Amino acid sequence: MDEFERELRQALERRPAPPGLKRRLMAQRDANAARRGWHAWLSRAGYGRGWATATAALLLLAMAGGGVRWELDRRHEERRGEAAREQVLTALRITGHALNQVQTRLAEHDRQSEEGGR
Amino acid sequence: MAAGMLTAASRAQEGLPLAPAVEKELAAKASDVTEVTLGKNMLDFAAKFMKGNDPDEAQAKKLIQGLKGIYVREYTFDKEGDYSMQQLQQLRAYFETSEWSPIVRERERKSGETTDVLMKVVNGETQGMFILSAQPRELTIVLILGPIRPEDLGELRGIGGLGALGDIGAKEKTKAKVKDGKGGTE
Repeated sequence: MDEFERELRQALERRPAPPGLKRRLMAQRDANAARRGWHAWLSRAGYGRGWATATAALLLLAMAGGGVRWELDRRHEERRGEAAREQVLTALRITGHALNQVQTRLAEHDRQSEEGGR
Repeated sequence: MAAGMLTAASRAQEGLPLAPAVEKELAAKASDVTEVTLGKNMLDFAAKFMKGNDPDEAQAKKLIQGLKGIYVREYTFDKEGDYSMQQLQQLRAYFETSEWSPIVRERERKSGETTDVLMKVVNGETQGMFILSAQPRELTIVLILGPIRPEDLGELRGIGGLGALGDIGAKEKTKAKVKDGKGGTE
């Protein structure tokens, strides 16, 4: 009986968990959860890790391409706008130049009329 | 230099007149040509790019926003006589309608310089301006369609003396008459 009690006590004795056990358990739990997520879904659909990587890369490329396109369009629009603005300013300068000529001639005409009137 | 051109179809669509044949003849003879044709859409687009912090550009923006079109031609010739009075008359004839009223008409027989400024008046409001300024070796045609307020142009002194229209407008208001030059020949 004493032998039995001793073995029982030994079996029920509280022992500390081996170092790193908790960390290993948590890591395994996370890995299992990830596998059950989109990875698992892709795997079930017949796509492996390679497909997932390729899809992600394509998505990234498409996003980058869209960004580049948007930027090119914006720059093109800006260049067109600047050209239109320059054209307006050129037109207004020529108009101003013509009006100055008109004014000069009118002033000259007035001066001559005044001189003629004296 | 060709600063900008539209096709005849798009020009007509935007309410600008079709280029008369004489314009091609003038361009062919000229040593330097500046052409600017801006319809309403292009003016609205350009207005978005006008710098608001520049007083002249801010004023120019205000001015062009209501316009239907700007049509400018500047020809420089190597020698005198590269264009004829007949060609000028063809250009003037384009605006000899009841809508257009001459506010300045000057002919200098000696120098051969001529000046025409016409305004399009609809219901008492200025809806267009045509300038034809001819010097022996330079010819300038300006056509602005849409509501033009001389007082707005008068604010644009920084842009190539555009404020001159304000002065001319004021002058014409006080004189209220068509001015003929000394030579006075058509």
